[in-house]
Amino acid sequence: MSASSTGSGEPAVEATSEYDPASHYDRVTAAWQLLLGDELHYGVFDSGDELLEVATGALTARMVQAAGFAELAAARSPARVRVLDVGCGSGAPACELRTTEGVEVVGITTSGVGVDAARARATALGIDGVSFEQRDGMDNGFADAEFDVVWALESSHLMRDREALINECARVLRPGGRLVLCDLVKWRDIPFAEVRGRIADFATLREAFGDAHFESLDYYAGTATAAGLTVERTDDLTAATLPTFDRWRANAATHRDEVVGLIGIGGHEAFVRSCDILEAFWRDGTFGYGLISAVRPS
Amino acid sequence: MNTSPAEIEQTVVAFLTRVKKYPADFHAGMSLAADGVGLDSLETAELSATLEDAHGIDPYSTGIMPQTLTEIQAFYDTVPTEV
Repeated sequence: MSASSTGSGEPAVEATSEYDPASHYDRVTAAWQLLLGDELHYGVFDSGDELLEVATGALTARMVQAAGFAELAAARSPARVRVLDVGCGSGAPACELRTTEGVEVVGITTSGVGVDAARARATALGIDGVSFEQRDGMDNGFADAEFDVVWALESSHLMRDREALINECARVLRPGGRLVLCDLVKWRDIPFAEVRGRIADFATLREAFGDAHFESLDYYAGTATAAGLTVERTDDLTAATLPTFDRWRANAATHRDEVVGLIGIGGHEAFVRSCDILEAFWRDGTFGYGLISAVRPS
Repeated sequence: MNTSPAEIEQTVVAFLTRVKKYPADFHAGMSLAADGVGLDSLETAELSATLEDAHGIDPYSTGIMPQTLTEIQAFYDTVPTEV
């Protein structure tokens, strides 16, 4: 992916591969709302019996707590708290943050389809104080120290340069502001011979989830520290997110015809196989899920 | 199978074109990794499989990790033409 300034303040985003984030999201957003649920992200399960929407809400609640909204709201009016949602998907978390926390939210994504969907969502809900722009999280174009919270929910794995992403997040944070990020993580390096031997599995994951690259929680913590932030917490949510795959498979069965109509039979089958592959990686300690929060020192 | 430098170049260029990572200024000495063409580990594995399918053997599977087209061509210079 490449980005260049248009002079309008909103960087132009040019897609160069069918697997790059913008092209990928443009292709799959509608289908993913059926497969992953309206919030388009993993769930954190307590008992494992919860509905997916309860578990995705629990993940959002965990991020809200890590972001320190209560602390910020106590210091000043929530309406004066500005949040940057990096990789805002179809806008559900941004709209929810605006509604439940009363904060101002700016959502950015490289996907034009995502921006349109997010704006339509906010309009349909009659929400103001939330806006969406087509920008690149690795070069967001905002001024320094514009935001109190930078929120990155499962977007970093689709950005090729995570160091640039975290540097940009740190740059736009005000002193005392927090970065809260959750995403898929890797728990071990995968040797080339293993990648070569499992080309089909990895190609299936790419077909379903785009050109994803995972880092370790330690990497995120180290990069945030190097960017001048103080890491407050790192949570391993691998076990808590594992039941997500069961729910996604159930959604794939329930909405099969609609999903096939949107992304084809191959896309549907790749998604179901991807759930199996990822679940196996979750169980064998290769991949998992983590959350990190870090504060910019006052 | 033909493992002449021209044949190897044809295979590599066709692969790079297919994965949409064939820069206009590509040359045989350009790095195939992130600091050049930009192949990631999966794409490198796919290139490895493509070379094996086309030419019967590939350097990556022998433990050699060539960084450029020139190094891939050099590998085939060292193996018998018929494999």
